[in-house]
Amino acid sequence: MTDTLVPSLPTSGAEPVRRVPTDWTTQAMQSRIRRRYASERRFRFAGLAAVWMSAAFLAFLLVSMLSQGASGFVETRVALPVDLAAAKLPISPSRLVGRGADLALAGAGLEGTVLAAASTAYGKDGANLLSDGAWAVVRDAIKADPSLLQRRAVFEVPVSSPIDVAAKGVGTNEAEAIYARLTARGVLSRGFNTGFLTSADSTDATRVGIWGAFKGSLLTMAVTLLLAFPIGVLSALYLEEYAPKNRWTDLIEVSINNLAAVPSIIFGLLGLAVFLGTFGMPRSAPIVGGLTLALMTMPVIVIAGRNAIKAVPPSIRDAALGVGASPVQVVFHHVLPLALPGILTGTIIGMARALGETAPLLMIGMRAFIAAPPSGLNDPATVLPVQIFLWSDQVSRGFVEKTSAAIIVLLVFLLAMNGVAIYLRNRFETRW
Amino acid sequence: MSAIALLFLVAGLGLIGWLTARVRATRFRAGSTARFSSLPAHHGWYVALWTAIPPLVFLVIWSVTSPALVTDAVLATPAAIQLPPPGFDRASILSEARSLAEGQSFGAFHGLAQTLAPSYAAAQSRYDWIATALALLLAFAGGAFAFTRVKPGFGARTQIERVVMLALLGASLIAILTTVGIVASLLYESVRFFSVVPITDFLFGTHWSPQVIDARDPGASLGAVPLFWGTFFIGAVIAMIVAIPFGLMSAIYLTQYAKPTTRKWMKPILEMLAGVPTVVYGYFAALTVAPAVRDLAVSIGISWASSESALAAGLVMGIMIIPFVSSMADDSIAAVPSSMRDGSLAMGATSSETIRRVLLPAALPGVVGGVLLAVSRAIGETMIVVMAASGVATLTLNPFASTTTVTKQIVDLLTGEAEFDSPKTLAAFALGLTLFVVTLLLNIVALRVVKRYREAYD
Repeated sequence: MTDTLVPSLPTSGAEPVRRVPTDWTTQAMQSRIRRRYASERRFRFAGLAAVWMSAAFLAFLLVSMLSQGASGFVETRVALPVDLAAAKLPISPSRLVGRGADLALAGAGLEGTVLAAASTAYGKDGANLLSDGAWAVVRDAIKADPSLLQRRAVFEVPVSSPIDVAAKGVGTNEAEAIYARLTARGVLSRGFNTGFLTSADSTDATRVGIWGAFKGSLLTMAVTLLLAFPIGVLSALYLEEYAPKNRWTDLIEVSINNLAAVPSIIFGLLGLAVFLGTFGMPRSAPIVGGLTLALMTMPVIVIAGRNAIKAVPPSIRDAALGVGASPVQVVFHHVLPLALPGILTGTIIGMARALGETAPLLMIGMRAFIAAPPSGLNDPATVLPVQIFLWSDQVSRGFVEKTSAAIIVLLVFLLAMNGVAIYLRNRFETRW
Repeated sequence: MSAIALLFLVAGLGLIGWLTARVRATRFRAGSTARFSSLPAHHGWYVALWTAIPPLVFLVIWSVTSPALVTDAVLATPAAIQLPPPGFDRASILSEARSLAEGQSFGAFHGLAQTLAPSYAAAQSRYDWIATALALLLAFAGGAFAFTRVKPGFGARTQIERVVMLALLGASLIAILTTVGIVASLLYESVRFFSVVPITDFLFGTHWSPQVIDARDPGASLGAVPLFWGTFFIGAVIAMIVAIPFGLMSAIYLTQYAKPTTRKWMKPILEMLAGVPTVVYGYFAALTVAPAVRDLAVSIGISWASSESALAAGLVMGIMIIPFVSSMADDSIAAVPSSMRDGSLAMGATSSETIRRVLLPAALPGVVGGVLLAVSRAIGETMIVVMAASGVATLTLNPFASTTTVTKQIVDLLTGEAEFDSPKTLAAFALGLTLFVVTLLLNIVALRVVKRYREAYD
């Protein structure tokens, strides 16, 4: 940097140093420039590559989940002729209405009838072809149309997990052979697996559904939102608008900033020790999960809320104070409504994070096998991410596609929430 | 009466109080030209709060104390003489009787529970009626008291605003309570753990195998050094080797080279990487990356490579952290005064020379702070390692070998079948405390570095 092209001014009476301007046309200079430009291009390319590689990771992740999970929404069915008239089930049509119908049909030995029909139709191993839930399909058909009990009918029932996996191309040799045989007879068909969206966990991969876990997630998120949103907004208002500058305020600020950075599993330990240990609340319950996640989400909402409140210009406050509003009126009538879009964006992002959270919920016991959807806040429940974790641990091949299918459902919800947050930000963001 | 119905009733009374007080305040305002300190709605809220808050406070206290009162009433009945002395049996009979009385279960294991159930139900309903009556009495008394104060000269607004301020202060104190709760619960369980296992064994022991704990010397198999090393190796070494170059380079490209439209689209896409739930990353790591890494290791001649290698978990964790590093780097590069950049460009330096020689050195403290925050997030990350890393604690430098981490061990220790007070479960809290302290220190140091660097340019 010392040999500048500009001649330096004579300062101390010394002779001005004569400098020759650089000759950029020489070979040496030209190659030097080429080298510098090449390195510039390389650097720029490295940056571009980093961006594209990161995007490619994301695309690969999403595509691999989609390709594995799409088949989880499809089930393979086999046509099963059942002669219900010949089976003479000991059941009167009058009991087939209302809530007792399921119990009545189960007690009448329908399951045995269906399995016997499978043996008649497909040989002595026929019963193994059917999913554990096959008879439930027949049961529901009878409930819808009791006249089926008086005749012979063909039902499309789901096949067992090995055959289902074979139908999707990754089965064992034995299952592939059976699948080929059944295909040759033309009795197989495919359809949308509605049970996946309406039932709960099960030990049989063809019968599992996400509704139980999804309902658990909904209950947990409701508790989280009801606690974290008001507390978060009120804390943000206090810290940003009213808090005096003193040690207590500093302590609150430090606590909130630290809580936002505490690993989520620590909140799980807190929930285990305090909510389950000290307060004796029920294990695996959505209320405990919601409380734990609320403590985790609250700092996120506070930080987003404070930024949104900070962005409201002071002139609004001054104007409101000037026309005689009290400090509380200034905040609740003017500042809060203006900051609300920003606060809501932060809240949705915080809730999306809570919805995808697994580790703290494992700590408070939401990893149990729950075969029925929870009916209240104190019932044992599981949530969508934990259900994914539980299915991913299953050895049975049929669970792989179900895990990925559940992941697709979870991602759809998270994307929708983030989309709403981005929409809110773009729609209501005001540049003052 | 059920609790929900009672809550609705109290809320309804509050609403009635709000409406009547507001009507009354509107009426006395209408006839006068004087200036009032409060709006009619303030008077309404004043009465509504006086109506609703005393019964709510009472109900909260009642819900804590009433089970003991009901049990006392049951114990006073003649049938209770047959109960065994206080202890586990007695508690289980009583709880069975309670669930029978509440209609939650239909059969009883103990015959005595069956006989106690009716008196339980009777006591329960008696106390429920008392609670309802007292709550309603409080609501009416509070409402009536407040209503008499609704007068032109009464400053309802200042009263209401005082309540609002209290609510705001109370809400912000919850953050402190949570912090205190975390520290207290971790410390309490850890102190119990360290009374069984010497702290030096835990912090400096190199052998970790909680499956077999020697009762005479539990510290011998609870040395956490392999866990600390595994956590550091996966979270701070392998993950950062992925995350720092990708995160830094994409931040540089997006801030310095990309067109505004590219930036507008690519930034949210990169941020989506941070929005994917960790359980999805874990599944991806276990199902796709880990087998690929093992095949790679086998193909280069490491036949014993684990399918639960540190590399698979670390790689995926690094991908997850990319957007985090990227946004921190983005912020710190943006904070460098543009005069420095312009000066360098004006001297004839190319963009990349400006970035490498001027911007990055100037932004370095901020970038380092961001990386420290990223490390703190990586070592606290749980699901990826739970699903993709192994449970075997080894002290190894080989990325293809299996290593375990603190978070993975916490999950393994607490989701087993062990009883709550064994050294095994208490060890999880000691690990949690260590994790908490380390992430806290990392965050404090990182924030201080970032802050000092910001001040340098302000």
